[in-house]
Amino acid sequence: MPFIEDLAEIVGPAGLITDPSDLAPYNTDWRGRYHGDAAVVVKPASTAEVAAVVRACHDHRIAVVPQGGNTSQCGASIPRLGHGEIILNLSRMNRILATDWDNDTLTCEAGTVLATVQNVARQGGHLFPLSIASEGSAEIGGIISTNAGGTAVLRYGNMRSLVLGLEVVLPDGQIWNGLRGLRKDNTGYDLKQWFIGAEGTLGIITAAVLRLFSLPHVRATAWVALDSPRDAVALLGYLKTRSGDRVTGFELVSRSALQMVLLHIPGSHDPLSQPSPWYVLVEMDDTDPGSDPHGVLESSLAEALRSGMIIDAALAQSEAQADTLWALREQISEAQKLEGISIKHDISVPVSRIPDLIEEATARLEAQYPGIRLLCFGHVGDGNLHYNLSKPNLLDNAAFIEQTLAVNRIVHDTVDRLGGSISAEHGIGQLKVDELVRYKNPVELELMKRIKHTLDPLGLMNPGKIFRTTK
Amino acid sequence: MKVLVPVKRVLDYNIKARPKADGSGVELSGLKMSMNPFDEIAMEAAIRFKEAGQASEIIAISCGTQACQETLRTALALGADRAILVETDEALQPLAVAKLLKVLVLREQPGLVICGKQAIDDDANQTGQMLAALLGWAQATFASRIELGSDRASVTREIDGGLETLSITLPAVITTDLRLNEPRYATLPNIMKAKKKPLETLTPADLGVDVTSRLTLLKVAEPPARQGGIKVNDVAELLDKLKNEAKVI
Repeated sequence: MPFIEDLAEIVGPAGLITDPSDLAPYNTDWRGRYHGDAAVVVKPASTAEVAAVVRACHDHRIAVVPQGGNTSQCGASIPRLGHGEIILNLSRMNRILATDWDNDTLTCEAGTVLATVQNVARQGGHLFPLSIASEGSAEIGGIISTNAGGTAVLRYGNMRSLVLGLEVVLPDGQIWNGLRGLRKDNTGYDLKQWFIGAEGTLGIITAAVLRLFSLPHVRATAWVALDSPRDAVALLGYLKTRSGDRVTGFELVSRSALQMVLLHIPGSHDPLSQPSPWYVLVEMDDTDPGSDPHGVLESSLAEALRSGMIIDAALAQSEAQADTLWALREQISEAQKLEGISIKHDISVPVSRIPDLIEEATARLEAQYPGIRLLCFGHVGDGNLHYNLSKPNLLDNAAFIEQTLAVNRIVHDTVDRLGGSISAEHGIGQLKVDELVRYKNPVELELMKRIKHTLDPLGLMNPGKIFRTTK
Repeated sequence: MKVLVPVKRVLDYNIKARPKADGSGVELSGLKMSMNPFDEIAMEAAIRFKEAGQASEIIAISCGTQACQETLRTALALGADRAILVETDEALQPLAVAKLLKVLVLREQPGLVICGKQAIDDDANQTGQMLAALLGWAQATFASRIELGSDRASVTREIDGGLETLSITLPAVITTDLRLNEPRYATLPNIMKAKKKPLETLTPADLGVDVTSRLTLLKVAEPPARQGGIKVNDVAELLDKLKNEAKVI
C-alpha cells in the first residue's frame, strides 16, 4: 500500500505502528467506551514530520485522528469504525522548547505531559496552574484541543486563558507558526482561539506557548461539612469577600461521592467524625511566604460556623494532610469506576444557579426513577458540576442505564433552562454530538460549521467529532 | 492517669529539605513547619486513651523557639488539655530535651509518656530512650499496638522478622511507630476551643537544666547526586561498558 510506504518514509520505523496488538491501546479510550479500527498509528517526531504526514493524508484523502495521552472523556481521540481513519499520535514530540522566566512563559511541544510542564515550571520557581486528575498522562496538545479545566479554574482560568501562542499544522499540511509569547496582540483575528477547544477538527496543534504564574509558597486546605449546595455557594461568596483572589480551590463533594471513595479506595478515611450531606474542599494560597492563609481560612470558617453556614470543618495541619484531603476529591472518578457504570454529566451553570440546578434536576429524576443514587461533585467555584446517576442494585442499574437518553434529557433540559452548558470541560467528542445539535443555538452551530468548512474543506481532520459529518 | 506527650516542630514532611547556602544547617526560612508525624501518632494514641476513659489528662510539651506555640496549639486542637512550652533559641539535642522532659515529668507525675520514636528532621531516635533512662522507668519503643492496664502496659513492637510483645510496668515511656494509628484532623470547633486552653511558657533555666550543645555541627551538605542510568542498544555494548567503563568484568 503506497500510502503506508509514504508514511514509513516520513517517520521511519520507530514512528509507525501497524501490528494489531500494538495498535489496540491507541484504538481504545481509557474508559473502554470507544473502540476504533485504525490500521496505522503514526508517531511523528517533529513538526515537519507532522506536516508531511498530514500532507500525505491530504493527497490520499485519508482522515486523521490526532491523539495525545488518550485520556479523552468523550471519545474525541478514538477513530470511528469503518472509515479507514489513521491515528496521528503526538507523544514522541515531548520537548520543552524554551522557558522565559521574565516573560512568565514556557514553550513546549504538543506531546509534553502536563505533569512535566508543571515540574519544569516549579523547578524554575514558577507555577503552571492547570491541574486535572489525568495530569500524569494527558498531553498539552490534547489539553488545548479540549480546552481542559480542572481544579484551579476559579483562580487561573481554563486552558484557553493559559495559552499565549500556538503552532498548528493545517489540514492541507501547511505549518502556521504562531508561537508568540504576547499578552497583548491586537493584530486582527485571534486565530489561536479557533484551535483551542476544537478537538482536532481544524488542524493539529504541534507546540504552544503557555502562561506561567508566581509559585504560591503557602497554602491552607480545609474539608468543610455543610447542609446544602446553597450553603456552599454562600460560603464561596463569603470567602471571596474575605480573602480576595486567594481562594484557589472550591470543590463540592456529595456524601455519596465520599462514601464511594471510602468504600473502594484503600487507606481512605472520613476526615470528620459525623456524616454530613455535602462537603466542600477549600484551598487558599499565597505567593507571599510571610502571609497567613491558615489564619485567614480559620477565622473565615469560624465566622461561617457561628452564622450557621457550615456544620463542621477539618483543617489540614500539614502538607501531607492537605494532600490526603485532595486525594479524597481526586479519587472520586476512580472509585466510581470501581463501583460500576453510571450515567454521567459534565455540566455548568452560572455559580448562582448551582443550587437550583441540583434541586430541580434531582427532584425531577427522583420522581421519574425512584431509588436513584446521585453522585455529585465538582468545581463549584467555576459553576462546573459532575452530576452522575446510578442505582445501587446491579440489575436495577442495568435497566436504569438503558434510560440514558431520557435521563440526559431531564438533566440537560434543566441545565439549558438555567442558562448552562451541557459540556463544561470534557468537550463534545463522539459522545455528545446529538446533544450539541439539540442545545446549541442554530446560528452558532452554522457559524461553527462554516469555520470547519473554511479550514478543512475535505473534512479530513478528526471527522465525526463535534459534528456528525457527511463525509 | 495523666499522659504526657512531647511534640516537636519540624520541617513539613512533604517539603524537600535543602542545606543552607553556607552549610550551617537546613534551610527553614519561609517553609512550612508541622508537627513531627510520629508525634502526631503519639498524640492520637493519648487522645484515644482519654476517650476510652484510661487517661484523665493529656499534657502536650514542646521544647524550642516561640514558634513551637503553633505546634502546641495544634496538639490542643487535636485533644490535649493543656500545653507547656519550654522556650529557648538554643539548638536542642536529644539529651537536653530528655533532661527538660525529666524535670517536667517529676513535676507533673504522669503515669505514661508517649512520644514519637524519632523526629523526621534529625532522625536521632534517642529522646524517648534517654528520658526513660534518666527517670529509671520502663520503656517500650516502636509501638504498633498498646494495651493499657492499671499498673502494666502491653506493647507490641515491630522487629525484624515479626512482632514482639512486651509487658512493662507503669509509669513508663512508650515511643510510637507508624502503624499504631491514623491521626485525626484538627476540626474547626476544636481549633477554636484550643485557643482558650492553658499554655504555660517556661525556660530551661526555670527547670534548672543546662541545654548547651555538647556536639558541634560542622557542616550540612546534600548527598552527592546520583547519575542516571543509560540505555544500551545491544549486549555487545553492554559488555563493552561493563568491561571498559564500569570495569567490573
